[in-house]
Amino acid sequence: MNLDHFGMDTITLAGPLEAKLRAVKAAGFTQIMLNATDIVGHPDGESAAIAAVRASGLRVTGFQVLRDFEGLAGHLHAYKVDVAKAMLEMCRALGSSILLACSSTSAHATGETDSLKTDLQKLALLAVPLNIRIAYEALSWGRYVNEFPQSWDLVQEADRANLGVCLDSYHILANRTDLGLLPDIDPRKVFLVQLSDFMWQELRSPEDRIDTARHFRVFPGEGVHSLEVAELVRQIDGMGYRGDYSFEVFNDDYRQLPLPMVCERAKRSVKWVSDLVSRRSLPLRRTSTSRG
Amino acid sequence: MTSPERIPEPSNPLGMDGIEFIEYATSQPQAFGDLLQRMGFVPLARHRSREVMLYRQGPMNLIVNSHGATSGMPTVSAVALRVRDAAFAHKHSLDLGAWDMPTRASAMELNIPGIHGVGDSLIYFVDRYRDFSIYDVDFIPLPGADPRPPALSGLHYFGVVQAILGERTRDWVDFYTHLFGFSVLPRGQYFGVLPKGTLLESPCHKFYLQLIEPPPGADDIQWDEGLVRLGLGAANVPAAVRALQERGIVFVDHGSVQPSDKGALTQFYLGGVTFELVVSHL
Repeated sequence: MNLDHFGMDTITLAGPLEAKLRAVKAAGFTQIMLNATDIVGHPDGESAAIAAVRASGLRVTGFQVLRDFEGLAGHLHAYKVDVAKAMLEMCRALGSSILLACSSTSAHATGETDSLKTDLQKLALLAVPLNIRIAYEALSWGRYVNEFPQSWDLVQEADRANLGVCLDSYHILANRTDLGLLPDIDPRKVFLVQLSDFMWQELRSPEDRIDTARHFRVFPGEGVHSLEVAELVRQIDGMGYRGDYSFEVFNDDYRQLPLPMVCERAKRSVKWVSDLVSRRSLPLRRTSTSRG
Repeated sequence: MTSPERIPEPSNPLGMDGIEFIEYATSQPQAFGDLLQRMGFVPLARHRSREVMLYRQGPMNLIVNSHGATSGMPTVSAVALRVRDAAFAHKHSLDLGAWDMPTRASAMELNIPGIHGVGDSLIYFVDRYRDFSIYDVDFIPLPGADPRPPALSGLHYFGVVQAILGERTRDWVDFYTHLFGFSVLPRGQYFGVLPKGTLLESPCHKFYLQLIEPPPGADDIQWDEGLVRLGLGAANVPAAVRALQERGIVFVDHGSVQPSDKGALTQFYLGGVTFELVVSHL
């Protein structure tokens, strides 16, 4: 495991897209997770943003985020399909092979499994001609799906080749989901792993989880759940996952620090995570017991 | 109450009934037309307002669309499927996650619904093929043309070959099985002289799709997703090969791809178009 397996996320950094791309590249990262607002919010428009990403030479880890897609009916469903199509088209234009879709928080959505499954199947089918994979993530405050065993169950139910799960350490830690359930997941169906930690021991309410998720995340190794993050990464690596790790660090402080300084913290975190995994990969020391 | 005819069959949800026509796009309609005539197709009619020609041979309708075409190399730009109810097929596909085709992209003035297929190609749905000719609306027959030209050696549509990117087979299998009810043939069951990739059989059992990923170690070759080749069925391939050779068609005759009882492959024409013959009793 090395720097090439990790990507920074534009949401961690302040400033214009070009500055983020430059800083991430200068720090030695080879990939970056993009947010739709980076693209549509570019002062010279969407095509300039796409050109900047392509010119950067950075690989796009994924594109985020499609929200509240599944479980809606009638005109709300039709509206979300339009949104999804626009996101998919941007995703393709950026050369990203992954669209991140978060479990629905909508009060208008049903939690009926058949409906959620059918909608995810539709999203996956929409993505096929564009060569995009859908990474479905259980948000810790999702209305019906808020832990990874539920997102994994739905992905299995939907049974589409280009539909998998995204595992996000924050949401797993926030809901104290049992890591012992991770081996149930087929590692080939984990399309993305997002890593972060946070500074509080406990998150007492959904409001707490949302607030912390959006403002107070830190890089792995910087928070108070290092043991759990380490265990999570060890498990995911042990399952055979060899895909990308992306730092999903929403942090208000980092958005007012110089970009190279934030990127350096991210690099320290890469080392922290890689050391954990490489220690695990070392062969067990042979004991001196002999059979004579 | 819904009429019983509208209730889809589980194994053939759209009531698919074969291919109504294949459409090629090219900016060289005359050169391609010459090639098609050597392949046994007969020019039948010209579009009323666009640079579009209709060819026919036995049961096969073939449209050459040069309206706005940018590339000289003829490429398969659309497959029109015969279905029980085109409006139902269209809505059913959109409900499942197909992309609607752009307005006015069709070669026809007639309102033929369609969806996006692989690459830039389209998939149309046609339900008027028994008692009514969709071509009468848009096309003016060429004087003296036989509207029912016989097929050379019984040639008929057998299938379409689709190039796909690496590790994309399962994605496209999902697309064709869930949208249309295609089924995957067991591995090893191939037809013709190019036994590669994954074969899908249409729910009407009248044609096949062949999905081909790039060969291993082909990282340096340009490999885009798209419909790359038409397969024509013939009960007697050697007889069909002879008949086409007499008309000046050249077949690949070396390596594993030489003409045999199983099939044959024409050389590349016009920068890359080729036809495959496959033994077939469809």
